[in-house]
Amino acid sequence: MKISFPYMGTVIIYKKVLELLGHDVLVAPRPSQKTLDLGVKHSPEFACFPFKTIMGTYIEACEMGADTLITSGGHGPCRAGFYGEIHKRVLKALGHKFDFIVFDSYARDKEKFIRNIKKIKGNNSWLKVIKAIRFTYQMLKEIDRFDKWIAKNRAYEQITGSVNQAWDEIQKMFDLAHTKKELKEAIINSEKLISAIPLKEVQERNKVRIGIVGEIYVVMEASINMEIEKILGELGCEVERSHYLSDWVDHNMLPSFLKRSHEEEILKKGEPFIEIEIGGHAKQTVGHIVDFKERGFDGIIHLMPFGCLPELISQSVIPKMSAQYEIPVFTLSLDEQTGQANNKTRIEAFIDLIKNKKLSNHQFSA
Amino acid sequence: MKIGIPRALLYYYYFPFWKAFFEALDMEVVVSEETNKGILNKGIKESVSEICVPIKLYIGHAIQLLNKEIDYIFVPRMVSIQSGEYFCPKFMGLPDMLRHGVKGLEGKIITCQIKSDSDDISAPENYYPMAEVLGVTKEQIQVAASVAREQWIGFRMFNKSGFTAVEAMKMIQTNDSLEVLLNNQQSSKPVLRIGLIGYVYNIYDPFLNMNIIEKLRELNVDFITFDMLEEAQLQEKIKDMEKTLFWTFSNKLLGAGLRLFHEPTIDGIIHLTAFGCGPDSFMGKLFEFESDQTGVPFMSIRVDEHTGENHLQTRIEAFVDMLKRKKFIA
Ligand code: SF4
Ligand code: SF4
Repeated sequence: MKISFPYMGTVIIYKKVLELLGHDVLVAPRPSQKTLDLGVKHSPEFACFPFKTIMGTYIEACEMGADTLITSGGHGPCRAGFYGEIHKRVLKALGHKFDFIVFDSYARDKEKFIRNIKKIKGNNSWLKVIKAIRFTYQMLKEIDRFDKWIAKNRAYEQITGSVNQAWDEIQKMFDLAHTKKELKEAIINSEKLISAIPLKEVQERNKVRIGIVGEIYVVMEASINMEIEKILGELGCEVERSHYLSDWVDHNMLPSFLKRSHEEEILKKGEPFIEIEIGGHAKQTVGHIVDFKERGFDGIIHLMPFGCLPELISQSVIPKMSAQYEIPVFTLSLDEQTGQANNKTRIEAFIDLIKNKKLSNHQFSA
Repeated sequence: MKIGIPRALLYYYYFPFWKAFFEALDMEVVVSEETNKGILNKGIKESVSEICVPIKLYIGHAIQLLNKEIDYIFVPRMVSIQSGEYFCPKFMGLPDMLRHGVKGLEGKIITCQIKSDSDDISAPENYYPMAEVLGVTKEQIQVAASVAREQWIGFRMFNKSGFTAVEAMKMIQTNDSLEVLLNNQQSSKPVLRIGLIGYVYNIYDPFLNMNIIEKLRELNVDFITFDMLEEAQLQEKIKDMEKTLFWTFSNKLLGAGLRLFHEPTIDGIIHLTAFGCGPDSFMGKLFEFESDQTGVPFMSIRVDEHTGENHLQTRIEAFVDMLKRKKFIA
């Protein structure tokens, strides 16, 4: 059995839990032009962009010998819930043979959830499964903590590239940790690594903080969002995303009695603009905009896959939110044809606008 | 009080209910005009560019109602009419989008959440939240909902016996079924019978689809749409699917399509879809698979903001010709 999965965010996490259970894991290549070309070629024309990218990833994984694909069934009532059905049929039509394991949230179909867990469990004892999950979850929390630090401090590095380099190394260290002891060491070494990075001192009032909100896949997967966090870092902005894998796990996979309240709070904040959960992450998107504003952020970049159903509703209400909360929001819709150069210029212009506004505010108050 | 109802989206499925409901509460019901260029353009102008055409049209219709001295525009939040299934996200967010996304509509929208476990949306609880704004009591709402239910069931009965939704509406409103029946008579026996699969708002808005229904009739082609089928017939092919589409109306179309692909009297299937429709992109793919398997010809027609009439005409004619050749020569 050679297992693979969609490529989204810090993939070493999915790899880890499967490895700990003794599976042979195949990490598909990071989405590239080739992935997109394959995905586009074999997807319905108007399928969403994440669907197409994942299609490409599956094909690459199958070509490399994967015989088992694992994925989640998507959040809320949207197309993602149906991704698997179509992916499966297309791959079959292409002649690939594989087992397809789709994890829906526990609440949706408890029996199926358990059945799937059993497939992954194999001959391991339940104790081992629980240990593996707990270990990976801990690691995930730590990784996300470093991920946040990186996105915040990239803007202030003195030596160009030093923060990105540290991030690569941190991920490598975590990738190699398989025991509690190794995890601890990885954490300590990562701490050391980042505290050694020389950073510029920047006055509080000159800091620019940008929140990234939107559909989860394009927010989390750098290779298909033009590495927007890096772009913003280079432009001198601190960045935070609306989605981190650990939040997602908390909200979607845990049975509700264990749920943390953070996500619920965010949803509440979105309520005046999108009253109920309409699918995908639209309500989170508007909730996070309010949250970022309350936490003193200077601007928002809203990422959505082209034609994304729920995010089109967020996009429709955003101009009014932006005016009411006095926070600039820039919506960027991404697809396989996204012109990088053009979008980069637009992002630059947006950041310039925010910086100028900040500057004139100081001068005014000074 | 004057209540405006946009002639768009589920107008073609629930208008008889809503009209009867508000009228039973002594309100005057005003419907926007038939779709025209002006309505479309207003809708395009006021909505985000990537959104599907039917939503743009809805926005256009809502704006048009503003000139009609209405007190409120009724924009229900359609959440679910089948347990475990929902509406397309754009329906669930429709009141939000109109209220916060379209200039001039804030304060003009009256809404309530529709939740039900079947197509029958008459449970009065759905409408209680509007009682205060409408200045009516819960008891009045109960009565109105049951009057409306009667009307709607009558409408659906005509619809399900093979009349288009537009015809069925006329029949129930004018009580003059005969006239519609006579008009509906085709001059000669139809040569072909096809499945015409699409949402009611795509099939029944003649402006949006260049009057495809008339075109088919002129070509002497009989057709069947999903709303003409019984619920059990729609469920038959999809109830065993491990996963369906989540969205009720998409599932109805899917169920209708899959069924018609296997019905011996059906010569071909046309899927009428609108530019920018997310759910349809997946459904279209499933129909393609089904067509390959069954050998029943399938064509997808996508209408958008500027579909050329000639182009559409040519494609339909070519498809019909092909079906005829297949049927009568082979
Ligand atoms: S949320 Fe957007 S990207 Fe995700 S399935 Fe729905 S339409 Fe596709
Ligand atoms: S189902 Fe398709 S056409 Fe209808 S509102 Fe949703 S996206 Fe638009």
